[in-house]
Amino acid sequence: MKLNIEGLLVYFPYDYIYPEQYSYMLELKRTLDAKGHGVLEMPSGTGKTISLLSLIVAYQKAFPLEVTKLIYCSRTVPEIEKVVEELRKLMEFYSKQTGESNNFLALALSSRKNLCIHPEVSALRFGKEVDGKCHSLTASYIRAQRHSTPDVPVCRFYEEFDAVGRQVPLPAGIYNLDDLKDFGRRKGWCPYYLARYSILHANIVVYSYHYLLDPKIADLVSKELAKNSVVVFDEAHNIDNVCIDSMSVNITRRTLDRCHTNVDTLQNTIQKIKETDAAKLKMEYRRLVEGLKEANVARETDVYLANPVLPDEILKEAVPGNIRTAEHFVGFLKRFLEYLKSRLRVQHVVQESAPQFLKDIFDKVCIDRKPLRFCAERLQSLLRTLEIADIADFSAVTLISNFATLVSTYSQGFTIIIEPFEDRTPTIANPVLHFSCMDPSIAIKPVFQRFQSVIITSGTLSPLDIYPRILDFRPVTMASFTMTLARTCLCPLIVGRGNDQVALSSKFETREDFAVIRNYGNLLLEMSAIVPDGIVAFFTSYVYMENIVASWYEQGILENIQRNKLIFIETPDAAETSMALEKYQEACENGRGAILLSVARGKVSEGIDFVHHFGRAVIMFGVPYVYTQSRILKARLEYLRDQFQIRENDFLTFDAMRHAAQCVGRAIRGKTDYGLMIFADKRYARADKRGKLPRWIQEHINDGSLNLTVDEAVQLSKHFLRQMAQPFRQEDQLGLSLLTLEQLESEEMLQKIAKIAHQT
Amino acid sequence: IALSSRNIFSVAHRYMSCRPMSSLSEEVLLVVKKVRQRKQDGTLYLMAERIAWGPEGKDRFTVSHLYADIRCQKISPDGKAKIQLQLVLHTGESTTFHFSNESSALKDRDAAKELLQQLLPKFKKKANKELEEKNRMLQEDPVLFQLYKDLVVSQVISADEFWANRLGDINNADPTSSNNKQEVGISGAFLADIRPQTDGCNGLRYNLTADIIESIFRTYPAVKEKYSENVPHNLTEKEFWTRFFQSHYFHRDRINTGTQDIFSECAKQDEKGLKSMVVQGVKNPLVDLLSLEDKTLDEGYGFCKTFPSTSNSNRTVKESSNSAIIKRFNHHSAMVLASLQFLTSSTDGNSRDSDFFQPPVKKVKLQEVIEYEDLQRENRPKTVALNLKKSDRYAHGPVPLQSQHYTTSQDIINSVNYIRHEMLNYKPNLTQVLSSTTASSAIAALSPGGVLMQAATQQAINQMVPTEVQGELKHLYAAAGELLRHFWSCFPVNTPFLEEKVMKMKSNLERFQMTKLCPFQEKIQRQYLSTNLTGHLEEMLQTAYRKFHIWQTRRMLRKT
Repeated sequence: MKLNIEGLLVYFPYDYIYPEQYSYMLELKRTLDAKGHGVLEMPSGTGKTISLLSLIVAYQKAFPLEVTKLIYCSRTVPEIEKVVEELRKLMEFYSKQTGESNNFLALALSSRKNLCIHPEVSALRFGKEVDGKCHSLTASYIRAQRHSTPDVPVCRFYEEFDAVGRQVPLPAGIYNLDDLKDFGRRKGWCPYYLARYSILHANIVVYSYHYLLDPKIADLVSKELAKNSVVVFDEAHNIDNVCIDSMSVNITRRTLDRCHTNVDTLQNTIQKIKETDAAKLKMEYRRLVEGLKEANVARETDVYLANPVLPDEILKEAVPGNIRTAEHFVGFLKRFLEYLKSRLRVQHVVQESAPQFLKDIFDKVCIDRKPLRFCAERLQSLLRTLEIADIADFSAVTLISNFATLVSTYSQGFTIIIEPFEDRTPTIANPVLHFSCMDPSIAIKPVFQRFQSVIITSGTLSPLDIYPRILDFRPVTMASFTMTLARTCLCPLIVGRGNDQVALSSKFETREDFAVIRNYGNLLLEMSAIVPDGIVAFFTSYVYMENIVASWYEQGILENIQRNKLIFIETPDAAETSMALEKYQEACENGRGAILLSVARGKVSEGIDFVHHFGRAVIMFGVPYVYTQSRILKARLEYLRDQFQIRENDFLTFDAMRHAAQCVGRAIRGKTDYGLMIFADKRYARADKRGKLPRWIQEHINDGSLNLTVDEAVQLSKHFLRQMAQPFRQEDQLGLSLLTLEQLESEEMLQKIAKIAHQT
Repeated sequence: IALSSRNIFSVAHRYMSCRPMSSLSEEVLLVVKKVRQRKQDGTLYLMAERIAWGPEGKDRFTVSHLYADIRCQKISPDGKAKIQLQLVLHTGESTTFHFSNESSALKDRDAAKELLQQLLPKFKKKANKELEEKNRMLQEDPVLFQLYKDLVVSQVISADEFWANRLGDINNADPTSSNNKQEVGISGAFLADIRPQTDGCNGLRYNLTADIIESIFRTYPAVKEKYSENVPHNLTEKEFWTRFFQSHYFHRDRINTGTQDIFSECAKQDEKGLKSMVVQGVKNPLVDLLSLEDKTLDEGYGFCKTFPSTSNSNRTVKESSNSAIIKRFNHHSAMVLASLQFLTSSTDGNSRDSDFFQPPVKKVKLQEVIEYEDLQRENRPKTVALNLKKSDRYAHGPVPLQSQHYTTSQDIINSVNYIRHEMLNYKPNLTQVLSSTTASSAIAALSPGGVLMQAATQQAINQMVPTEVQGELKHLYAAAGELLRHFWSCFPVNTPFLEEKVMKMKSNLERFQMTKLCPFQEKIQRQYLSTNLTGHLEEMLQTAYRKFHIWQTRRMLRKT
């Protein structure tokens, strides 16, 4: 249908529309008009992606000069592919309606592992291996060597691409990962480099968060993307953790040992080159004297996305003299390494700030702040000069140099914690230096600064106001949308007591309590008897799940559950869990019914949807608080309190509730879907917990569903499931939660729609 | 739970009962002498269809059970002074045989047990199925159930007689269903069903049934292999299962058990199987957690996860046993599912080994995920709802008796042409039509109000008698009908069996009249209702009696 969103003609590739989709598009349009950032929460399964795409594509077509590019970031590879498929559908609809052939170029970009078509390289299993092997075939000096010695192996796909691929831009169209591979195979071009090259002139780019948020990758891939782009972070409820992860560094003894070998290799290589090709080193020296002017010019003219690892100030300066020559730099690295080694020889936990660390290093080994800041840049230059084939081998020394740059650049927002052993095993020495970022805004700052509109959206972003605070930006729109429902297809229940009135809770004091564990088992057992097909149960942590499973096994509860359904359990091994997942789906598919025991914050809870019969009930055992004894977390909480005035408990509860909401939200993936959401912990009944759930879940929790016993919950569930089992047709939804164009345009409906968006 | 050395062990087979009609061949499979029953010496015979025992010196059996009647057999535990075998019947009765031959009692008993073990399952399936079928019929058909109550429960006829020709009907009616029996999956909890029971004297007792053994074999092929390797050459069946239950393999959470466990190999094999499954990976790219992340952080970056380290060195025994339990459950569930695989032949046409086929599955799955079915207009062809003004007319309209043979339009055109042709040549044959008077009287008789159109007893019975009497009458009719059907089906009486039956049926009918019909008549009379109600029933009975008398007198004549 064709929609009129405040004067913008939007093609929407369906015959009907959900009211909240219309509302969402309205808000989105206003955000784009204001050229500002937005935070939008809309339940999953209400067609968020297609609404986003429809509106932004329409906007691009209407104002081609104001919005040149859409950068759509999602988290997982399947999500990325889903987005591209939806986009394809939209574009097909466009060409059918307008009769014009599509002139948009949209493509997905992923790592080499997912795009490589080289027969040997693509057969490798791990992403890192693929990257390393690819680099060893495509690095510039390898290819230069080939001119003299033709038997050096190179990648023919890259060669072909390099020869002709850049001359003609990728023809307009929608390219998913497989399409890129097909295209690459047909032309004999490398799809990965083709995609990386093509994102510069593509209208729509779909890739993962890391390509924008991880400075190491963003610098390679995304720095030239146009300023007047719209950036969308979908499934953004964990975006702060992604930011922090990309800026944090952990150093163990093993890292240092490997770094040591790296440095030795560097030294030997330098020695060799000095004997054969001294000119090369001289040339590098000259370049370093000139400094990083080029980069500076580029950034000032706003061509590049800023790199937080490469702070502005150092661009104006030349590399300091004491690390300018290759030997000096290697010597410098060695000194730094020895210092780190000495720091790891600790008997007790040390926590210090970056300035303290810098002072200590100056006192002990006379390393100044300035050369440290240039460390990362200097190493890159050296590796280029030395023509190192396998970059992956030098990951350790790269890590150390990145650490050096970061620690000397940011006096705030980071903390250094040195732990001599793991908490669980105090007898085994395993010293680790954690350099952890506590401020997610550091990594995302360049994105907010550079791009005109950044949209943060997800099914679960409540409470909305916390994201602008921790990411440090000022949005023009913040809105939460509810799900309009013709029938109440979700049934949140808070089970607070067992049948014997024992309070159910996963809190630390009662964690080992047999009565609680037994009652949890009883809840699962009773549910397994009444819920059809699939049940997914989440535990607060892996260790907790292991313990509970073991005592259920001893008490014979699992055996009884097996009479009703098959049991599958998540393990730390991803491959094993994948298999369990597939078998779980198979068991749901063939009618056996199954239970999946899984972990909140685990891979399953973050990436796998349990649509329809794959998840008729989700049980959340306990409140998934993060492990609060961790020193890194404590430091982060302190920082949040001092910098953003967010109280520790507020943040912890927020974090626990967003994960709980993620877990239970896995079961509802649309309006035709239905599912039970069982929160098995009495603490959920409290207003401060409940109030942090997304609005679309919260509004279905009434007083009758608080603090239930297991039996009461079973009764309510039975009633709910019986109602849901009735046929549900399109006609039932029409006019309420599903609209035709005429219905949408009625005055009354427009008024109703205005209420869907809940502004904060 | 510790297993003592004196494991008591019994293998019991469960049976439901149904008696096969007759046993013609009486092939004797095993004869065991010196078997005592009720303190009497005698001989035990195992025949093709039954087990029988006769006291010494007499040539008749005082005990005889069809195998189909036996629910299970039990044996006395080893070490008991008396070596016994007990048969528990479906009815709950039991018969105990005491093997008293001093030298070979144990061997005799085991021989009998083994043979029974082989024989019983053959009767079991049939018995089970028939019983289930009967049960189902009774549940589904309330009339039949009432009939069953009237006739069998009140002992007018026996259950066998009642079922005799009913089951035949269903078997004939639906031959496919009985041949293609549906394969049944395995219960996920079959291992839980063999929960050990303490026998009160420091031992444990596991009850294994044939079903469970089959489940174990189907779920764990490695065990089956071991079984066929070792039983009966190296181990007896009992020893095999004893070891199975003692093994680490069965108690997977235990870490340290005996090393010379024959099942340790099974565990390894399972492990291997599990690994190969894991290595094969998953077909559905949407659940593949390995390729979920696009770009993992390099080693050394990131927020340190507090995940338990996987190295075994710093894990406690308890932890590794916990993870063993988890692995075991995953494996068990996967195996139970796999045992179903041959039933649901996978027809997704996707061979896992070739990368060539991968994109289609992926495409399909992706399309499935992005589909919003309710946002799309439904695509199925539009149908017009039937709008009936008078629905009863539609429901009671003329119905073709036989399935219609549909003709093509060409046929219709041809036949129209043919009829037209006929009509052209039609010449009425005026000598053979009805006279006008007869014709008009026939029309009058068929018109409303005519003789043939009179609403004969429109003052229907349902307005004259109370409903409970009606209900009773209905039951009486059904019962009488059933009995009469049995009775009439005996004619022509040409075998001694039928002769016997017809006599019996006659007495059944008389008994029915006495016990059911007469009380009913009296009741009606008490309520001053028209006695006409049972007239037809009596008439039917009288007809049957008459027939019987004719047949009897003829037989007498023939005999004399």
